[in-house]
Amino acid sequence: MNQCRVFAFKHSHENEYTSTQTDDVFHNHIAKPAILRQDITFSRFLLIRRLIQIYQNQARNFQFSDDEEDEKRVVKSRKDKRYDELRGLIKDMKNHKKIKDCAKVCSDFEDQQKAYDKCKKIIQEEGKPRFYIRNLVELEEFIGEVWEDREQRKKMSKLNAKGLTTLRQKFRKYIRDFEDDMSKYKEAPDKESDVSAEEVEESSDSESETEGDVMKAADFIKKAEKKKKSEPKPKMDDDSSDDSMDWGSDSDESSSSSDEEKDYTNILQKFLKKTPAEAEKKKEKKDKKKVEKKKKVEEEDEDQEDAGGDWEVVPGGQFLEKKRPKMFAKNTEINHEVILKKLMELVSARGKKGTDRQEQIELMEELRTIANTNNLGIGLDVKILLCHISSVFDYNPNIATCMKSELWEKLISHLNELIAILVNNPNITVWEKIPEDSEQVTESPFKVRGCVLTMVERMDEEFTKMLQACDAHSTEYVDRLKDEPVVCSIIEKLQVYMEEKSTSDELCRIYLRRIMHTYYKFEEDYMMGRDLSSGALMKRLCTYIYSKDNTDRLRTQAMLCQIYHLAIHDCWYDARDLMLMSHLQDMIQHSDVPTQILYNRTMVQLGLCAFRQGHIKDSHNALVDIQSTGRAKELLAQGLLLQRQRERTAEEEKIEKRRQMPYHMHINLELLECVYLVSAMLLEIPYMAAHEFDARRRMISKNFHHVMRVSDRQPLVGPPESMREHVVAASKSMKTGDWRSCKNYVINEKMNTKVWELFYQPEKTRDMIVTKIQEESLRTYLFTYSSVYDSLSMVTLADMFELEKAVVHSIISKMIINEELMASLDEPTQTVVMHRTEPTRFQSLALQLSEKVASLVENNENIMKFKMGQFYQFNKGGQNKDGTYVQRPGQKQWGQKRNYQEGEGYGGRNQQNEGGYRQRYNKDGGEGYNNRQRYNKDGGEGYNNRGKGKYDNRENKGGYQGGGGYQGGGGYQGGGGRAWQQQY
Amino acid sequence: MAGRNSDSQVKFVLIDGLVVLKVIKHCEEIGSGGTELVQGVLLGLVVENRLEITNCFPFPQHSENQEDFDEVQYQMEMMRNLRHVNIDHLHVGWYQSTYHGSFVNKALIESQFNYQHSIEESVVLIYDPVKSSHGKISLKAFRLTPVMMEMYREGDFSPETVSSSNLSFEKMFEEIPIVFKNSHLVNALMCEIEETQPPKEHDQFLDLATTSVLEKEMALMMKCVDELSQDANKFTNFQRQVQKQKHAKEQYLMKRKQENELRAQRKEAPLPEEDINKIFKPLQPPPRLESLLTSAQINQYSQSINEFAKQSFGKLFMAESLQENKVASN
Repeated sequence: MNQCRVFAFKHSHENEYTSTQTDDVFHNHIAKPAILRQDITFSRFLLIRRLIQIYQNQARNFQFSDDEEDEKRVVKSRKDKRYDELRGLIKDMKNHKKIKDCAKVCSDFEDQQKAYDKCKKIIQEEGKPRFYIRNLVELEEFIGEVWEDREQRKKMSKLNAKGLTTLRQKFRKYIRDFEDDMSKYKEAPDKESDVSAEEVEESSDSESETEGDVMKAADFIKKAEKKKKSEPKPKMDDDSSDDSMDWGSDSDESSSSSDEEKDYTNILQKFLKKTPAEAEKKKEKKDKKKVEKKKKVEEEDEDQEDAGGDWEVVPGGQFLEKKRPKMFAKNTEINHEVILKKLMELVSARGKKGTDRQEQIELMEELRTIANTNNLGIGLDVKILLCHISSVFDYNPNIATCMKSELWEKLISHLNELIAILVNNPNITVWEKIPEDSEQVTESPFKVRGCVLTMVERMDEEFTKMLQACDAHSTEYVDRLKDEPVVCSIIEKLQVYMEEKSTSDELCRIYLRRIMHTYYKFEEDYMMGRDLSSGALMKRLCTYIYSKDNTDRLRTQAMLCQIYHLAIHDCWYDARDLMLMSHLQDMIQHSDVPTQILYNRTMVQLGLCAFRQGHIKDSHNALVDIQSTGRAKELLAQGLLLQRQRERTAEEEKIEKRRQMPYHMHINLELLECVYLVSAMLLEIPYMAAHEFDARRRMISKNFHHVMRVSDRQPLVGPPESMREHVVAASKSMKTGDWRSCKNYVINEKMNTKVWELFYQPEKTRDMIVTKIQEESLRTYLFTYSSVYDSLSMVTLADMFELEKAVVHSIISKMIINEELMASLDEPTQTVVMHRTEPTRFQSLALQLSEKVASLVENNENIMKFKMGQFYQFNKGGQNKDGTYVQRPGQKQWGQKRNYQEGEGYGGRNQQNEGGYRQRYNKDGGEGYNNRQRYNKDGGEGYNNRGKGKYDNRENKGGYQGGGGYQGGGGYQGGGGRAWQQQY
Repeated sequence: MAGRNSDSQVKFVLIDGLVVLKVIKHCEEIGSGGTELVQGVLLGLVVENRLEITNCFPFPQHSENQEDFDEVQYQMEMMRNLRHVNIDHLHVGWYQSTYHGSFVNKALIESQFNYQHSIEESVVLIYDPVKSSHGKISLKAFRLTPVMMEMYREGDFSPETVSSSNLSFEKMFEEIPIVFKNSHLVNALMCEIEETQPPKEHDQFLDLATTSVLEKEMALMMKCVDELSQDANKFTNFQRQVQKQKHAKEQYLMKRKQENELRAQRKEAPLPEEDINKIFKPLQPPPRLESLLTSAQINQYSQSINEFAKQSFGKLFMAESLQENKVASN
């Protein structure tokens, strides 16, 4: 902004100097409505006030001298300067005292001390200044007052309380030197003359009558202030360092109103040149001087004489220190090297902590102007422009927030300009892989390092962010959205440009950008003023990406976009085939989140498309994943959902917010849910009717069941209000085969406005729905009520459901073929004759019960198995652990043992104990295990057989088990087991 | 103790017709024909080996906004008042309506236990309005068996205790035969009324609408079977866990043993004994009360279905022969 100010001065002074370009830039710059400073904080306001006051003080101080001498710009004595500074600080402190900001007062006090020390020399000559003494006395009073007020003190913020204590201590130390003076002062306090003088308002200042003027004054002072900053002043420093940006905007604001601008320059002229008395200030002059100097430097034109001799009169001193880096030294010859050097300087400052990014942008702009005025060639211009654009991007360091609208406009205009230059000058190559040292900016062919594509991509992202940042229902959003064609046109232009020069990689990227701006647009909207249909465009771009891309990600996205685009234009089969052929469904979970979001969006569109085309099942399948989670909003990135289990962290929330789709790309969630529910209804209701008694019935749509259950739970079901209630009511009437009321619930005024009108051709969709409802209701009716009919006339059915007889015939035939309906068609009488093969309700219940009982039996057997099988398991464990056992000729030996045991009964026990098997298990349990193993084996078989329903086998087994000493062994096992248990 | 002694005392229950009518009336009026549960107090006294129930009064239906309603207070008051009009005022049990015989649950056990605990001869009368509407009054008297009383007092229904006490679902309740008795005056009145009544044109006793009742009972039974199945599953899981733990225990001990042997070889002191239960906390076995109750309930259903089926079969055969007869005669 300061830069801008410079231009303003320039403008007023040298009318002869106005290169058109500068003028443009200038106007661009200041014509922005910049109502940014509404949040001026109180303290900042105070600061401005203070500055104004300083300015006025100075004015007063020098009024006389100005009057006396003809000389307009007066040299200020050192004493005055010092004292002014001191006074300023005192004023500052007064303000802080008023708001009881002890921390600030404390730092003010320190500043004062320093300033006072600087005045030491003068003070030695002239004695201690009275105003300083007065100040000290007041401060003493203030400290005493605040310190006494204990209650207030407790309420103070930590910072303030600390400030107060420090202040008190420091003050005590400090006033020792002043005690005499202070007591003297206390005896004869001032008549407030000085004070009042200081507080005289700007009545005498003709130029500062309006707010704007005051602001302007403030701007001037600000410069003065900044100059002062060269002296060590901690307080000012910390204030100004973080406020510097705001200051800039302040000045921007004041200078933006163009009508004032003129006054302003007049005033300036008044200030600078002719105005005899008024508010001719030294500071002012210095400002001007600086400006002048700057200007001189910048243009290094021969306009020094224009400044007049007066300027030189003013002594420079430390106040002339530049606040900002000079562009160039005076009289430097502007050539490529100099500009490049300067540019490098600026670029290297990029990203550093202390860099004023706003200034950076302005400097770039200025540099470019200079380069242009000196006709340094298009190559350099491009180079600077590239740097300039990146500095604009740099302006906002926070990734989460978007750029300001002025910057944005600047950005798109620059980008437009850049692309225009590039298109018009094919001899310029801008490529990111050109090494820094082989850049060629001086002569054709130019080579510049940089990447326009990245910039455009960045711009696009920035655009999305801006849309995300503003409320979707505000006019602001609409205003922003008006830039969308501009963004598109930039991308388009770049695409055309790149098609000639770039590699396929880059081309894929720009194509994808283009696709991203096209895929969600409906043909009719898109075609306005274009010759190529969006479908054809999509096809061309996508095909290119499919063939050339090697990053997979671009291809996936392009493919999804194409499917999406096909889906919204009702090309169901194409879209579905593309989706199936791409196998995206299998690998989408491995891709990044934005791609997944795009995938979700595509699936939804695919589902909607299928619905419109009457493919209810496909529609349901496409939508079920999105809808069943209940998080459709989140999955489509159309808003944040409250998470029940846990709060998200601020970080997560930020990330999620960054992913959100801009509002104009949203898919209507109610439409989505309605389509899902209606298709679920059309599938689920006949299915439920057909499988009423089937124990293994599965739900087709959990979500639909959930909605139904919620409505069932309601104590009183009123007439439907919401979309969901409508669908529920429709489902209920469909259950009874009442297709008319079902239709009336799904298609009516309310639902039309809520849902169906959102489709491209609502009439077609509605017709489709009606037909589907009729058919499915007929099926439901047949399923539900077939048991009460012996035969049904198809003619009557056709009448009932207002369907063609042929359609009824085909539906019933299908049902019969699928064995859903046990019936046959009697052609001569046109009736459906029911076969009573379906079990009655009671029979099916009995079947269910028997199934359940069977499963219960199985469960019980499991329990039994456990009881019997525990040792078997143990054995297995032992085997696994003891590798040698497995290696043994186990099976054979086993067989032997069994025979042996069977033959000899208990007698075998000892023998077995001697076997190697016992190595691990101790002697007591051993034989038990063996027996059990056998027993088990048999038992297991028995169970298995029983599972197959051969119940009689059980008897056999039982007989076997009962037979011989074996059973006895079983009895013994019980004992063995117990003994074993006791052991542990 | 109370249960055991009373075992021999009450052989059957003698119910006055008045009580039956009052229970039915209560059930129809308040319980809206059987869908809601109604309860009340039985009054009477024990004479020799029979329990005579001579009167009853219902528990009032109190809505939710009367939370301070004191039932005990009400009962005491009621009994006092009845005493004033010279009615039996001894508390001998309670009655409850039921829906298709689904009365076997924890709440019933709990209150019956409390009754039997304080008044040893008390019984619970279960009235089934649905069955009664088919023409035969369904009223049953139950008591908890002594075993059950003992078990419930202990509150321990772990698998071991259940099996050791030999408690099975059949042995939880004992049904006590009921005898209806009317005074001679009432009988005389009935005879008179019967004479004045015109003879019925159609008798409903051949009603063949069997399915609805059976369906309902089946559905209820299925629910119980499901429950039991789940319970069995739970038990299986428990067993599996026990198994696993045992295995782990065994491994642990084995390791210890080996370690100790090694130590012995190296002539070191054996590892200190540790409480194995601390390392492997014994698992909490699932209580068996639920499964016992569900089994009892299933038993109940099966019995009633059985009974119903018996009658229905008879009717069906009769209807068949009637039909044949009719066809033949035509």
